[in-house]
Amino acid sequence: MREERGLFGHLLPYLYAATFIVVVWQLVVTLTKPHVSLLPPPYLVAQGFYELVASGQLFVHAGVSLARVLSAWFLSMLIAVPLGLAMGRSRLIERLVDPVIELLRPISPLAWIPLAILWFGIGESGKIFIVFIGTFFPTLLATVAGVKGIEPHLIHAGQVFGCKSQFALFRKIVLPAALPSIITGLRISFGTGWAAIIAAELVAARSGLGYLIANGMEILRADQVLVGMIAIGVLGVAFDAGLRYVGRRLTWEGAA
Amino acid sequence: MSEPQNSSQPGKSITVDGVSKIYQSRGGGEVEACRRIDLEIKAGEFVAIVGPSGCGKSTLLYMMAGFSAPTTGQILCGGVAVRGPDIERSMVFQNYALFPWLDVRGNVEFGLENKGVPRNLRTEKVDRHLKLVGLSEFADKHISELSGGMKQRVAIARAFAVEPGVILMDEPFGALDALTRRFLQKELLRIWREQACTVAFVTHSVPESIVLADRIVVMSARPGELKSMIDVDLPHPRDSTSDGFRDLERRIYADLDEELAKTFSAEGLLG
Repeated sequence: MREERGLFGHLLPYLYAATFIVVVWQLVVTLTKPHVSLLPPPYLVAQGFYELVASGQLFVHAGVSLARVLSAWFLSMLIAVPLGLAMGRSRLIERLVDPVIELLRPISPLAWIPLAILWFGIGESGKIFIVFIGTFFPTLLATVAGVKGIEPHLIHAGQVFGCKSQFALFRKIVLPAALPSIITGLRISFGTGWAAIIAAELVAARSGLGYLIANGMEILRADQVLVGMIAIGVLGVAFDAGLRYVGRRLTWEGAA
Repeated sequence: MSEPQNSSQPGKSITVDGVSKIYQSRGGGEVEACRRIDLEIKAGEFVAIVGPSGCGKSTLLYMMAGFSAPTTGQILCGGVAVRGPDIERSMVFQNYALFPWLDVRGNVEFGLENKGVPRNLRTEKVDRHLKLVGLSEFADKHISELSGGMKQRVAIARAFAVEPGVILMDEPFGALDALTRRFLQKELLRIWREQACTVAFVTHSVPESIVLADRIVVMSARPGELKSMIDVDLPHPRDSTSDGFRDLERRIYADLDEELAKTFSAEGLLG
């Protein structure tokens, strides 16, 4: 039985955190009096925020970044989830695939940026490649862990109660039993993908929130940099909360 | 095999024919879990299998289910060799093994759906079996909302709902408190009588085996062999304080004590 907090109740901690950050920020500005191109006071950034919203530019850049992350994230899910299910159930497939994964996994998606630029230029496919790398491994590992964590008797019960084929067993037992873990993996990988796309846009892009930040730095507009950073943070939190909600709705762990 | 399945059918027989099971242990050695077991469970009979822990009684049950094949010998169900798990041999597990992503109704319906029972008939069968275990009002509850005793009643309903020839029960009440256990034993007998089928019931509780079974199979310490076979002729409901009950208890404990002594001396715990 979950306690109902309502939207305001859910937002309260974030409002508190935002207020805390703004107060500290204003204190730093008041006490150290930095040049406005280094650290502008909160009200100037609010003004910059308003301008970017009014001109629609913020939405364009945020939309571009989100579209890149979502398409790459979806693509990696299409490959990582079935592969993870297969690895979790088959010793042979796991032995073949796992060493390759373990060798590639420690290489940060950011380390792939130079190669991505060489291969794909600064177009969309390079960005999607980077985010794919960033989202693939968390989704895969969570899926494998989810499948391996299935209580063996659930598989036995599935077999006894009529799942005759491996396919039926996958569809009716393995997938639903591993779903909570898979959804957690997707939520984590959205976070890593969101971080990766900003980095990729910082280095080579003409649009997106990462580009907005890099551009602000080049034209010495710290307010634009900060607006971009705030948008990244807010969107990241919003998507995480949304995925959490969807996860609770979709899976049995949140059912009670 | 040619007769249609219905609730008045007295279930299917189980024939265990010279069955041994040898496992490869992790260290590379071999573990003999069961040795040359011959056992005939008649159609509609309720047989309890008792024995010291590690005697291979669960291994035997899992071979009857078809999860693993005997190393030597064979197991027949209704005269046909067991080649893998099948819905004609349904099962109740010690830790319930209910599907937590389905509600109570969904769990009981699961096997019926796989069996291809049409929807309206399915609903009727689920309702009937939920009523049989006294959970009609809990059909829409999620598994996580149920107590241990209720979970095991759902598992019993799930096992009976598919109208199997045989129900295999692996220490189904082992994790429950004594009162719930006593209650569910009575419930099980009532349902079993209403819907005749063969039951193989593994337990480590001697009184439980006497309360329930037509016949008790006592297994020896590892490697598990048939130690003795005891018919229970006491009328139901069985009174655990009666002389007949006590006599049986004494006989079975005498057999088991012998085996336990072997186990402990093998482990170097006794002289």
